[in-house]
Amino acid sequence: MCHECDALQRVPAVEPGHDAECVRCGLRLFRNPKGSIDKPLALIIASMILFLIANIYPIMTLTIAGVKLTGTITDTAWVFVQQGSPEIAAIVWLPSVLFPGLTIAGLFYVLFSIRFQMNWPHTRTILAWITHLLPWGMMDVFLLGILVALVKLVALADVLLGTGFYAFLILIFLYAATIASLEPHTLWESLNVRADEQGAFENG
Amino acid sequence: MLELMSRVRLKMANEIVSAKDLGIAGCHTCGLAVNMQNHDHVECPRCGSGVHYRKPDSINRAWAFLIAAFIMYIPANTQPMMRTTSLGSESADTIMSGVIYFLSHGDWHLALVIFAASVMLPLLKIIAIAYILISIQRGSTQRKQEKTNLYRIAEILGKWSMLDIFVVGLMVMLVQLGRLTTIDPGPACIAFALVVILTMFAEEALDPKLIWDQTE
Repeated sequence: MCHECDALQRVPAVEPGHDAECVRCGLRLFRNPKGSIDKPLALIIASMILFLIANIYPIMTLTIAGVKLTGTITDTAWVFVQQGSPEIAAIVWLPSVLFPGLTIAGLFYVLFSIRFQMNWPHTRTILAWITHLLPWGMMDVFLLGILVALVKLVALADVLLGTGFYAFLILIFLYAATIASLEPHTLWESLNVRADEQGAFENG
Repeated sequence: MLELMSRVRLKMANEIVSAKDLGIAGCHTCGLAVNMQNHDHVECPRCGSGVHYRKPDSINRAWAFLIAAFIMYIPANTQPMMRTTSLGSESADTIMSGVIYFLSHGDWHLALVIFAASVMLPLLKIIAIAYILISIQRGSTQRKQEKTNLYRIAEILGKWSMLDIFVVGLMVMLVQLGRLTTIDPGPACIAFALVVILTMFAEEALDPKLIWDQTE
C-alpha cells in the first residue's frame, strides 16, 4: 500500500541497490539498500562523534580591530537568551542542535538495539518519534546560513573558520548518507514482534 | 482474513484499488497496513500511533494553518529582520534590503539564494498547498500526478526558508561580542519562523491521499 495515494499493490522482491515504486503515483515505496544494517550503524556512530566536535568547538573566529571573537553553534542561540528574546533563541537552537541531536541519538539507540539483538525497551516509540522529528532538523540550512554570514562578515573583519565548522561540514554529509542508507520498512519489520498476532498484514 | 486476500487479488486483476475500499489503512507513522475491521480509528499495533483511513479533518486544518502562515508572511517581509547600531547611527534591514545590499555589491548569486529562500519559497509553498486544497474541494480529477509531485517538492523545500533567521543569529552572535557595533534581531524573525512552522503544519495536515480519492 502506498502511503501517499493509498493504491494497494503487491511489491515484488527487490534486489539490493534497487527501488520499488508505486504503480499509480510513482512514490518510492521500498528500497533495498546495499549492505546490511552495519552501514547505517557505522555512519551514525561517526555522525555522533562529529556532532559532538561540531558543537563543542567554535565555528569561526573573527578579528575586528585586534580583538578576537569566537563562537559555537549554541552561542548563536545563547546570545538571544542574554538579550532577552528566548523565543528567537529557541527558533535557532531547536532545529540546528536539539532536533538533529535527538534524531542521531535515537537512531543510534534503535540501530544498536536491532543489530546486536539487545531488545532495548521503547525502540518502537523512539523510532516513531524520530519519524516525526526528522523534517524539523535543519542542520543543512544552518550550514548555508554560516556561509552567507561568512560572506557578509568578510567585508567587516578577518574571518577564520574553526574546527567546529569543518566538523559540521563533514557531519552534514555523514548525516545525509546515514538517512540515505536507512530503509524505514526494514527497520520497522525488525521491530515487528506482535503485529501479526493482532491481525495486521505485512507491509506492501 | 483469507476472504479479504482473495478480494484483493480479484480487484487487482483489473484496476488499481485504494486500500480504503478494502477496509485497510496505512499507519501514518510506521506504514503498517492495518485491517480496520469496521472501525474508523484504531491504534497501530506496531508503533502505537492513531490509524485512520485519511488524516482527520485534513482540509480544514490545512486551510487554518495556511491562512495563518499567509498572514505572518506579510510582517515577515515588511518588518526589519535586524537592526544594526554602529557608533550611534542605526539602520534596519528587511529581507529585501539585504537582497539589494548583495546585488549592489555584485554578489548576485547570494542575492538570488536569499531572495529564493526567503521571499519566493514560502509564497510558492503557500500557493501550492492552496491550489491542492482548492482542487480537492472542487472534486477535480485532473492532473493527480502533478499535484502529488507538487506536494512532494513543497515538503522538501519548505525548511530552506529558515536560512535568513540562521544568518541573523550568526551575525548577532559574532558582532555582538565586539563592542562597537550591535545587531538586534527584528520582529520579522519571529514572523518568518512562524511562516515556516505553519506551512510545515499545513503540509503535514494535508493528506495527499485525498488527491487520489476523486474519481470520474
